[in-house]
Amino acid sequence: MRYYITIICLMLCSCMKWEYGIEEDFDLSASGDGLFICNEGNFQYGNATLSYYDPTTKTVQNEIFYRANAMKLGDVCQSMIIRNGIGWVVVNNSHVVFAIDINTFKEVGRITNLTSPRYIHFISDEKAYITQIWDNRIFIVNPKRYEITGYIDVPNMTSESGSTEQMVQHGKYVYVNCWSYQNRIIKIDTETDKVVDELVVGIQPTSLVMDCNNKLWTVTDGGYEGSPYGHEAPSLYRIDAETFTIEKQFKFSFGDWPSEVQLNGTKDKIYWLNDDVWEMDVTADRVPVRPFLSYNGTLYYGLTVCPRTGDVYIADAIDYVQQGMVYRYSKDRELIDSFYVGIIPGAFCWK
Amino acid sequence: MKKLLLILYIALSPFIASAQEEDTKDWATRGINIREVSVYGQRPMKDIGTQQTKFDTIALKENIALSMADVLTFNSAIFVKNYGRATLSTVAFRGTSPSHTQVSWNGMKINNPMLGMTDFSMIPSYFIDDASLLHGTSSVNETGGGLGGSVKLSTKPAQSNGFGLQYIQGIGSFKTFDEFLRLTYGNSHWQTSTRVVYSSSPNDYKYRNHDKKVNVYDENMNIVDQYYPIERNRSGAYKDFHLLQEVYYNTGKGDRFGLNAWYINSNRELAMLTVDHGNDTDFENRQREQTFRGVMSWDHLRESWKLGAKAGYIYTWMAYDYKRDLGNGIMAHMTRSRSRINTFYGQVDGEYSIGTKWLFTANLSLHQHIVVSEDKNIVRQDGNKAIVGYRKGRPELSGSVSAKWRPTERLGLSFVVREEMVGREWTPIIPAFFVDGLISQRGNIVAKASISRNFRFPTLNDLYFLPGGNPDLRKESGWTYDTGVSFAIGKENIYSLSGSANWFESFIKDWIIWLPTPKGFFSPENIKDVHAYGIELKANLDVALSKEWQLGLNGTFSWTPSINVGEPRTPADRSVGKQLPYVPQLSSTVTGRLTWRRWTFLYKWCYYSERFTMSSNDISLTGKLPPYFMSNISLEKVLVFKWADLSLKGTVNNLFNEEYLSVLSRPMPGINFEIFIGITPKW
Repeated sequence: MRYYITIICLMLCSCMKWEYGIEEDFDLSASGDGLFICNEGNFQYGNATLSYYDPTTKTVQNEIFYRANAMKLGDVCQSMIIRNGIGWVVVNNSHVVFAIDINTFKEVGRITNLTSPRYIHFISDEKAYITQIWDNRIFIVNPKRYEITGYIDVPNMTSESGSTEQMVQHGKYVYVNCWSYQNRIIKIDTETDKVVDELVVGIQPTSLVMDCNNKLWTVTDGGYEGSPYGHEAPSLYRIDAETFTIEKQFKFSFGDWPSEVQLNGTKDKIYWLNDDVWEMDVTADRVPVRPFLSYNGTLYYGLTVCPRTGDVYIADAIDYVQQGMVYRYSKDRELIDSFYVGIIPGAFCWK
Repeated sequence: MKKLLLILYIALSPFIASAQEEDTKDWATRGINIREVSVYGQRPMKDIGTQQTKFDTIALKENIALSMADVLTFNSAIFVKNYGRATLSTVAFRGTSPSHTQVSWNGMKINNPMLGMTDFSMIPSYFIDDASLLHGTSSVNETGGGLGGSVKLSTKPAQSNGFGLQYIQGIGSFKTFDEFLRLTYGNSHWQTSTRVVYSSSPNDYKYRNHDKKVNVYDENMNIVDQYYPIERNRSGAYKDFHLLQEVYYNTGKGDRFGLNAWYINSNRELAMLTVDHGNDTDFENRQREQTFRGVMSWDHLRESWKLGAKAGYIYTWMAYDYKRDLGNGIMAHMTRSRSRINTFYGQVDGEYSIGTKWLFTANLSLHQHIVVSEDKNIVRQDGNKAIVGYRKGRPELSGSVSAKWRPTERLGLSFVVREEMVGREWTPIIPAFFVDGLISQRGNIVAKASISRNFRFPTLNDLYFLPGGNPDLRKESGWTYDTGVSFAIGKENIYSLSGSANWFESFIKDWIIWLPTPKGFFSPENIKDVHAYGIELKANLDVALSKEWQLGLNGTFSWTPSINVGEPRTPADRSVGKQLPYVPQLSSTVTGRLTWRRWTFLYKWCYYSERFTMSSNDISLTGKLPPYFMSNISLEKVLVFKWADLSLKGTVNNLFNEEYLSVLSRPMPGINFEIFIGITPKW
């Protein structure tokens, strides 16, 4: 009888647990190079993670934010940058930017109450810009106090179709590509925090970098079929930062999906994804005929180039609901390593 | 006796709901009237070989405040994916997806044609008089596209004589107020009923957030402490209004007419995720819906044949607003989406029987959808405003014929042929074959088997949503077979015991899944082939322990592996051969009812095994959904006066106050309470 009662009690009483994390201690202060991988996770599921890869030992640590802090990173990890030993991790749908120690991965602070943050760019130790989607404002923050201190209104942009993305700086000006249902690069005076100029490029410029010659590079995705904003063949643009004019337009075929423009360490080569992985000198007049790495049956989702070795890292999100794979190639196209990270690896940050 | 019951309980747990037709009042006032078990000869010809779960009035009305999502959670083994209290709840059979479940109300399909799925949290059980699940192949008898199965919901005449009124007020935790009103009038020809439900709650239950911490800073903004905050469910308020009007006319000479009209006005906030660091007062995330569903029906019944016709209409207006306070009190739209759906419906069906051995049926239905989807307002390159969305119409024609033959009392055979046209595309012939046989009269042991082909067309959003809709999608296709055995024994007014065990297997090709693209939006693709199989057990026991004590136990158990058997997408793909994410392999329910005089005690328990959140079935620290157990209890007392019947009921949900998640980042409420006071005047 007691046996049956026990079974019934076990059945009826519950044992499900929403677990607490356990804080782990990391100390990578002695290590050299390191690569942070932002894994977006699935939208609305709050399963974004941060991974850390040591290129020297070829070891990867996954879920480092959760393991170091015993809490979740959030929903859709969008990007990360490092400044003065602090990593700034932008978590888009959690409306937060976390500041972490890049050796222990412990949180040191956070900026909250952002609309839908995408990227952060430092003007000084006490001033940074944070771009947003679904907001026509760029947020000005004080990273030391983790406070929002002001906004930059972007002209001719509504909240609903607001989209500001990546930022690069040349002198006192910050350039920002405006992506979703947008077609321009805007120029911000960091002294007045005002948009002072804009340059129309093609439909939906997705990324922005600046090479060794102070030329801005952006690539458009061309929109999509049926979009009331338009649909066109995408293009890669070279823009002179000084004059803020388009110097060169490299047109792709209609239906191509180029993305993820990146630079090598010396900033004299650009890389991008367009099914294959492409590489081009920043002074080239034509897009190469053959890719740097050929398509291998999956859509690559992220790309970075090691600033020191020139190794190329490509993220494969596979089916977007399992751990993605990062492939590491030498600049001579040799596969050096591959490793699993988190769900949808989309962005990288070099230590 | 107690020991015997206990053994039966252990051996047959979990148990099944049976189809006893008792209303709540009778249950409470008279106790269980335990019927003698049905004998084989009473098995309806229409149900030859079908795997069906019927919900009786007791299950549907045992807690008046429940939605159909809650009823299915605790009374069936199908998977109910619940995004929180009073938020989207979808159901899935046998390891398939919610869009593989076809749902009908009084014969009319109510799946959202844009999304393919049905939100069961929007269906109050108070409005449903008859509900049944048709598992796998059995759904082909009713409709196409149910690769997992179908859910049949319907209303029926109240059989009242004169005027009737019932009013129930529920008051519960989190300032929850539920109002229920039913007015009926009936005579030998006419039956009318008006039902009203209004539910509202700020829904701001407390929970300890394990997913994030609050920082405590010193004056130099160094973190000096962190803790897991106790938070309230933020932005989860809801106000739902439902009105159902029914009119039935029975000529008494074989003709019946019916009119059902259901209006819904829902206003729900969408609760913030546990990992959201935004301030809830700065954001508004709200979904509103107004839906009208109307069905007119005519049934012409003769001794050997029957003819029926139905006409219906659905109008749905849905609005989704995501707003942000700009800091000056002005809420700016981040997303403003609107959709309007008009569906026109018509159906004719007929039955013809030759003696007691043959039954022929035919059915033809048409649903014409007209959809306007406006998802985003943008400013075009020329400075003019534009809306991102689509306008599409699509007819869905479905027809079937069947022949059912019972050559002997022990054997029944049924063959169904169905064909469907969606848009301009026809399915190949959809055949289904059913057989059942009485193995033993002693114990009423019946064996059943069935096999069918089936197809599901992409939804309108799959094809046309901007951005991402993929007009090149193929329809999903599947083969399913199942086989099982059932038994039923009992003795009038002493006990009844019934149960069944079924094995099923299905193969689904070209499964449609939405995936992110490098362009920043999602797009659907036919990427998966799935092999789903498993076992479903159901059982029911009713016992009259004495003249005044009755015990009822029922339960279900399912083991449903749902395995990805497609090709790897890339060399690194580890999902092949693995269980689909968010689909539990094991699920079970148990319900126990103990009645003494006019008191009823109810215990409900359900279980889902761990759900994987990754297609590779890896379990990560941030992606864990542990097994899910839940226990609810209620106690009801009926007071009978000359002038009215009064009912008092108290319920306790999440009895053990578990901190749990059904879906990642969406906490469920802890222990909560609700009391109901009902009055049914006697005129």
